[in-house]
Amino acid sequence: MMDNYRIRKIKDRLMRILLWSSLIIAMIPLFSILLDVFINGARAINIDFFLLPTPTVGEKGGIANAIQGTLITLGLASIIGVPIGIMSGIFLSEYHDSKLSQPVRFINDVLSGFPSIVVGIFGYVLIASVIGFSVIAAAFSLAIIMIPIVTRTTEESLRMVPVAIREAALALGIRRWKTIIFIVLKGGRKGIVTGVLLALARIAGESAPVLVTMGYWRWWFSGLNRPASNLALNIYLFAISPFENWRTLAWGSALFLILMILGISILIRVLTRGKYE
Amino acid sequence: MNRQKLEAELSYKFEIENLNAWFGSKQVLKNINMKIKEKAITAIIGPSGCGKTTLIRCLNRMHETVPDAKVTGRVLFNGVDVYGRDIDPVQIRRKIGMIFQKPNPFPMMSIYDNVAIGLKLNGVKDKRKVDSIVEKSLRMVGLWDEVKDELNKSGASLSGGQQQRLCIARALAVEPEVLLMDEPTSALDPISSAKIELLIRELAEDYTIIIVTHNMQQAARVSDYTAFLYLGELIEYGPTRQIFENPKNELTEKYLTGGFG
Amino acid sequence: MTRLIDAGLEQVKNILLRMGNIAHEAISISLKGYIEGLSTYSEVQKISDILIITEEEANDKIFELIARFQPVASDLRLLKSCMKISYSLARYGRYALDISQIYEKIDGLALCEDWIRNHIIEMSEKVLKMIQISVELLNNRDINEARNLSEIEKQVDEMYFKYLDNLMDKPSTVNKCIISSVLVVRYLERIADHATYIGESIFYIVTGEKIILR
Repeated sequence: MMDNYRIRKIKDRLMRILLWSSLIIAMIPLFSILLDVFINGARAINIDFFLLPTPTVGEKGGIANAIQGTLITLGLASIIGVPIGIMSGIFLSEYHDSKLSQPVRFINDVLSGFPSIVVGIFGYVLIASVIGFSVIAAAFSLAIIMIPIVTRTTEESLRMVPVAIREAALALGIRRWKTIIFIVLKGGRKGIVTGVLLALARIAGESAPVLVTMGYWRWWFSGLNRPASNLALNIYLFAISPFENWRTLAWGSALFLILMILGISILIRVLTRGKYE
Repeated sequence: MNRQKLEAELSYKFEIENLNAWFGSKQVLKNINMKIKEKAITAIIGPSGCGKTTLIRCLNRMHETVPDAKVTGRVLFNGVDVYGRDIDPVQIRRKIGMIFQKPNPFPMMSIYDNVAIGLKLNGVKDKRKVDSIVEKSLRMVGLWDEVKDELNKSGASLSGGQQQRLCIARALAVEPEVLLMDEPTSALDPISSAKIELLIRELAEDYTIIIVTHNMQQAARVSDYTAFLYLGELIEYGPTRQIFENPKNELTEKYLTGGFG
Repeated sequence: MTRLIDAGLEQVKNILLRMGNIAHEAISISLKGYIEGLSTYSEVQKISDILIITEEEANDKIFELIARFQPVASDLRLLKSCMKISYSLARYGRYALDISQIYEKIDGLALCEDWIRNHIIEMSEKVLKMIQISVELLNNRDINEARNLSEIEKQVDEMYFKYLDNLMDKPSTVNKCIISSVLVVRYLERIADHATYIGESIFYIVTGEKIILR
């Protein structure tokens, strides 16, 4: 009796130690990367870093043009990708008895598993090869990467909204589309926002599709039909360059990208926070 | 004589004729025929799974919102078949409010909006009118004095009993003629339940109320008429007093006296 | 907080009050008729029938309340007592009818000596007083009044036995008068008993204690 209890207690303790150590092991790479980025990136950061465009070799410069280009590209990608993603998510969640929903869900799953370079090439073939390397082509490719993520999280978060809420609305004689937009969507807002942020973070870090659709651009933004500078691509290209000042900028860009995504996340969460959460 | 007959017919809010309902291939209602009196409380009792809830969900066409659900037969509401060809179920639901087993106020909406949303989404724009209907509805359920200073608080911040009364107010706000209640007190404590029962009795002055309950004592307390359903069939239906004092059917007697199964 | 059962209890109380007033009226009429030598049988019969129907009505209502609300504690005591009270009130009516019937079948006090007449008048007054108190108790539930009933009941009892003793001491009295008056005095004594039962029931409603006031 007593022995049994002791053995169980030991097992319990062992299990807990195991879980804790797994957690710590999983955290080590994450924190070492963050630490590296912070230490090296912090050295790159000064006033010029934020105000000047990409320097030539050995000169002073910053990433202002890349920030500008990235924000514009991400913004355009979101304008295309977020509504489509949310609407597909609504379709999958609210019209799940439709014959179309199973194929759509399958295609969506396949799409989310696509290597991003393939999506990039798709964007190149469809747009960049026609109108040239451009913000539009990059945003289009990035939007395609966003859509399955937003769709999936929207569907899941809408499904979390209890059936009872939908029924309450329908029983009030509220039409189905109004029920979805004004009531169900409100209930699933938090999850949808999370999905959008997840997608945004994902495409902000993409460099391959950007490379094949927009290419490298050292100057300021000059139109949607022309290329723009991009942080993720800069990190990739600067990091492998032989020039000291570019490598420093790569570290700085990495740090800034992390902070920017964090900042956008906080901002969007604050802006979309409901009164009653 | 004719006139009397006419009056008797007019005082029925619902006339259910040969109603059958299915979920997929499972038949949950079998050839139900019953007439439901206007401005009275009709209780539907019976063991779990006997089709009580399905029966009331057929009245406001909520049954068909579940995939695979099917209905046949007629449900005359004010003499008009709700399953008629040109009938818009949304219009039907506006006139037939529904209260659910678990209080389900809309999350992330204020107390005020919970009551007002039905009006707003049905196109009532006049803010003053909405305000007055919200107040009237909350007063009717006896919630106004409790919440009038915190109309902007979340509906979910109220207690269970208050939430259920809020849900009743929400249903009343769109000015229905009928209230369908699906075990409205089963998730509530005895005091809150008693308040709701009292409220139901008061509402019967102006509304036709149909209440599904697994609690037969509740049916006995609040209703004027009681229907006993068993395995999808209407076994007995009559004045509550007669059902509880002198049931005609042996099954009803067994169910009421607890000698079932 | 108001409760669903309250409206029903109020209804029962009102039925009983109505019965009480009718019963009081029935006994007043029959006694007055008996003493003054008037035929009241058909009138009292109507009232008595109403009382019997109303007793059924009261019991139905009580039955319904039990079936609907499963009353407990004070509600249950109340309903149980109301059933007994309604029976006593209906008995008032029957005794009133019995008294009217004696006048019809035998005779009133026409052939009786004055002392008999006076004795019956005095007893009638006491009994009518008791009925009045018992009916008022339905409304005020005053325990002291209920106790008071037992005092008057004792006096009525004493008067009853005293009357029988007196009759045996005075053999000269006419037969018709003896039979008629003895029966009436007997009924008066029974009515007084029922008034006391009502007092006991009220006592039980208020305190939950079962006492015997007789």
